[in-house]
Amino acid sequence: MSMPPSPEEGGPRMARIRARALSPRGPQLVTPASARLVYGSLVLAYLLGLLPWPEGWRWLVPDFTFLVLLYWNIHSPHRAGLGLAFVLGLLTDAARGMLFGMHALVYVAAAFVALSVRRRLENFLPPGQALQLAPLFLGKELAVLLLGLAIGQTVTDWWSLAAGPMAALLWLPTCLLLHGLGGRPPAGPAATAPDK
Amino acid sequence: MATSAQAPMFMRVMGLPMRLALYVLASLVLMGVDARYDTLGLLRSGVASILHPVQTGLARPFHYLQDALDFFQAHGQLVRDNHRLQQTQRALMQQLHDRSLLHAENVHLRNLLGLALPPGYVGHGVEIVQAMSNPFSRKVVVDRGSLQGLSTGWPAVDDMGLVGQVTRVFPTSSEVTLITSRDQDIPVQVLRNGLRLIVSGTGLDRLLEVRFLDMHADLQPNDILVTSGLDGVYPAGLPVARVVAVEPPRHTPFARAVCAPLAGVGRHRQMLILQRQAQGAAPLPAGPAAQRVAPREQGRSP
Repeated sequence: MSMPPSPEEGGPRMARIRARALSPRGPQLVTPASARLVYGSLVLAYLLGLLPWPEGWRWLVPDFTFLVLLYWNIHSPHRAGLGLAFVLGLLTDAARGMLFGMHALVYVAAAFVALSVRRRLENFLPPGQALQLAPLFLGKELAVLLLGLAIGQTVTDWWSLAAGPMAALLWLPTCLLLHGLGGRPPAGPAATAPDK
Repeated sequence: MATSAQAPMFMRVMGLPMRLALYVLASLVLMGVDARYDTLGLLRSGVASILHPVQTGLARPFHYLQDALDFFQAHGQLVRDNHRLQQTQRALMQQLHDRSLLHAENVHLRNLLGLALPPGYVGHGVEIVQAMSNPFSRKVVVDRGSLQGLSTGWPAVDDMGLVGQVTRVFPTSSEVTLITSRDQDIPVQVLRNGLRLIVSGTGLDRLLEVRFLDMHADLQPNDILVTSGLDGVYPAGLPVARVVAVEPPRHTPFARAVCAPLAGVGRHRQMLILQRQAQGAAPLPAGPAAQRVAPREQGRSP
């Protein structure tokens, strides 16, 4: 594929920019998610974590609450902010029998990162987002373990780090499901982006 | 900075980093308070008394499903299981018989020595509701709590031996820390020669270890370890573990012994929590669960 000469390169680009300005698309076209959907999905994710998962596979079970929290941080930041992350973290602490504040701290920090990079992430398709969020998911598990070690727990189960990549893999089905429920196009707002 | 009803996007006065700092500070304070003081116990027990019934409800369909699957298991499997279980039962009955004989003899000898009898224990039957997903220690939640009379420190056993210890009590549920938890240490005695040891959890389900073992200690594979009762927490004589291997010292002055827990730690759904009866009191049944197991307890105590 040969590159077009330089004067013509500006042509389609300008047309694209003009088209973007004339017909707004992406997040602006999507109606904001209803409070019922946001809080309902979070409650469901929390209950999912309480299910009696088989004992041998527990280390592989991702933190569903955290997954859905990050989704809403990125796609509906006016409903899911740091305060919600804090409350959910406390609930997770209670469910896992850990010190109050451990998960709250980690959730709030992760939500801060997600809120900071969400504008950039919205331009990617779910697989790209999963790839970029994978360090955040892994970092969350690592942060919980390191916090526990710092507090004085002597030994820990390093296999539970595997829940991080697992959560990154589950980002795709989560996006599909919540995009569908929230009235977005299934592949996300960036699906129509003409970039190569 | 003009704020108006038409521009809600300017209503946030505090920036994101500032709010992050506040929440991080709040988390750290909470962690400190929770680690040092007991003041958050009420909050925790409030949350737990809401969460644990929910967990029970969520687990119920899976239990039913499991029961249905069990029901449809193949006939041959059941026959084989039955055969094996009968053999185990016979062996267990033999052991129980031996044990009660020994116990009776022990009581007799104690009477002769003029020592005070150890007070009897009564059992509370409990069911495991949920295994906690906590990478630091192995805990389960059981369906009875302080309303049913449970209290922290009580030992939990199954039909094979010691399983764990009650470490937190909520109104209708309790947390039991299993003996395989890394921070659980149990004073034990070797059944064969009375050698006193301390056996510790490793964090793995099928493994316990004796960490600092004298390299000349008389400990052999297949030795049975029972609780010595010296700690005042566990009653004496509960089977705890079987020695699998004794490793000679490497780089340290101590040997190490690897043991397998005798009880089905992490395998069964039901357990028995032992309550020490007040000295001199008759073993009273404390509720329907206690009545269910009372005959067995009476058979065990003199």
